[in-house]
Amino acid sequence: MLLEVTLSGVTLGGMYALVAMGLTLQYGVARIMNLSYGELLIAAAFAAFWFYSGLALNPLLGLIVVPPLAFAASYAIYRYLLQPLVRRAKSRDQLEVDSILATFGLLFVIQGVMLALFGGAYYSYSFLSVPLQFAGATVAANRLLALVLAVVIGLGLYLGLTRTRLGTAVRAVAVDPVAAQLVAIDVRTASALAFALGGALVAAAGVLVSMFLTFNANLGVVFTLKALIVVIMGGVGNLLGALIAGLILGLTENYVATFIDPGLTLAATYAIFLLVLLVRPQGLLGRANR
Amino acid sequence: MLEVAGLSVQYGQHRAVDGVALTVAVGEIVVILGANGSGKSSLLKAVAGLQPPGVQARVTLAGRQLAGLPAHAIVEAGLALVPEGRGIFGELTVRENLLLGAFARRARADEARNRERVLALFPRLAERLEQTARTMSGGEQQMVAIGRALMSAPEVLLLDEPSLGLSPLLCGELFRALGQIRGDGISVLLVEQNARRSLAVADRGYLIENGHIVGTGRAQDLASDPAVQRAYLGGARRA
Repeated sequence: MLLEVTLSGVTLGGMYALVAMGLTLQYGVARIMNLSYGELLIAAAFAAFWFYSGLALNPLLGLIVVPPLAFAASYAIYRYLLQPLVRRAKSRDQLEVDSILATFGLLFVIQGVMLALFGGAYYSYSFLSVPLQFAGATVAANRLLALVLAVVIGLGLYLGLTRTRLGTAVRAVAVDPVAAQLVAIDVRTASALAFALGGALVAAAGVLVSMFLTFNANLGVVFTLKALIVVIMGGVGNLLGALIAGLILGLTENYVATFIDPGLTLAATYAIFLLVLLVRPQGLLGRANR
Repeated sequence: MLEVAGLSVQYGQHRAVDGVALTVAVGEIVVILGANGSGKSSLLKAVAGLQPPGVQARVTLAGRQLAGLPAHAIVEAGLALVPEGRGIFGELTVRENLLLGAFARRARADEARNRERVLALFPRLAERLEQTARTMSGGEQQMVAIGRALMSAPEVLLLDEPSLGLSPLLCGELFRALGQIRGDGISVLLVEQNARRSLAVADRGYLIENGHIVGTGRAQDLASDPAVQRAYLGGARRA
């Protein structure tokens, strides 16, 4: 029982971590606080659903098709909706306020389109929903697959950002956008790419989540909030922190839902969040006074 | 090599730099001397593309117009700035800072050779490649900043008060390093408050006051000029 709950908590935590990594790219590098972030996850989940139920295709095919589409869509959103804000913002604070307002509007646009297409009903589909025996515990194959894929994607991103020159350049923009220009980094292009990459990540998470969670068109906000909590808990801009915080959150939610009361999961989430903020306001792995 | 003419920097109503002209020849160290707030930093920022240089500005590097280009394109053209306060990536390691120094396409072909040169110039960095830059001492951070700039294979290196906050010993090392950099065929333009040390290593100098160039000459002439001594070397002599 404990092992089963832990496994499914790790899976959920892996999703949170993946989603938070994408938000870290958008907020840390492109400096956009994207409130419509979770909508993209739900849109990707619907796309995977449509692949499976509508086209009778493997939803994993969605993992190849949907993230590139999300990349392109996010790039366009950044280029045409957000870059004008970046250009006119006199300070980082002002850009934050402007981007929050703009993406808050975008949230309702995307949500409205999804509501028009799919209504408010809950959706799910049954893919690889077979039980597997794992060290004496039973775990659904689709959850395990989602976890493995999340690890692969997350690890790939981590290595890409830390082991390549381009990835290091992306991190450099997050550290100091002015100095980045002085080593010939085109900060505008790098920001657009980071924002688009964040979109691709959350879309990948959406496809994975759709394999084992029930979702509806209104659920995007929940994921945006969770991603924000994980990013802040882990330390803004810290990928490793996001991973740890995501796992903590996923495990806590599953433990509380199973052993205490499912109604208390959200309360537990925020209790942990508050605790971290009280003890380490800069986040688990964050550095003080950035 | 580097020619600047009609360069002005405006902050709102305040004109920090007003119609400055200067040149830096190949393999030359040129120092700009001036007090705090005389417009030295604004001048370098405008040359490097971090500040708009004014509509009438001409900034050419080997005949190519740089004024109006974004900062990243100016690095690509062969001009690297070590800014005031160093501007290194504090969260990244020394290795990563140097790696990013060679981000410019122009720097890729000679990257290995430039890296060797930088590590020979500053052996401290070779010992500390894996250290996070912000945990280093001020002098070491300055080495990272200059090393990173050299990694971009510049034709002209711009330095904004590199000796600020360094001990006299480190200062001496720094100015010796500038001499070696010139020896490698890189032109150097620096702004300084440490007039004595910088005039000792420089070939020529300019004096800047309230955003205007008010004097120029060979470094040894400036160093022995009584007016320059009064204005820029007085404090240093007492110290």
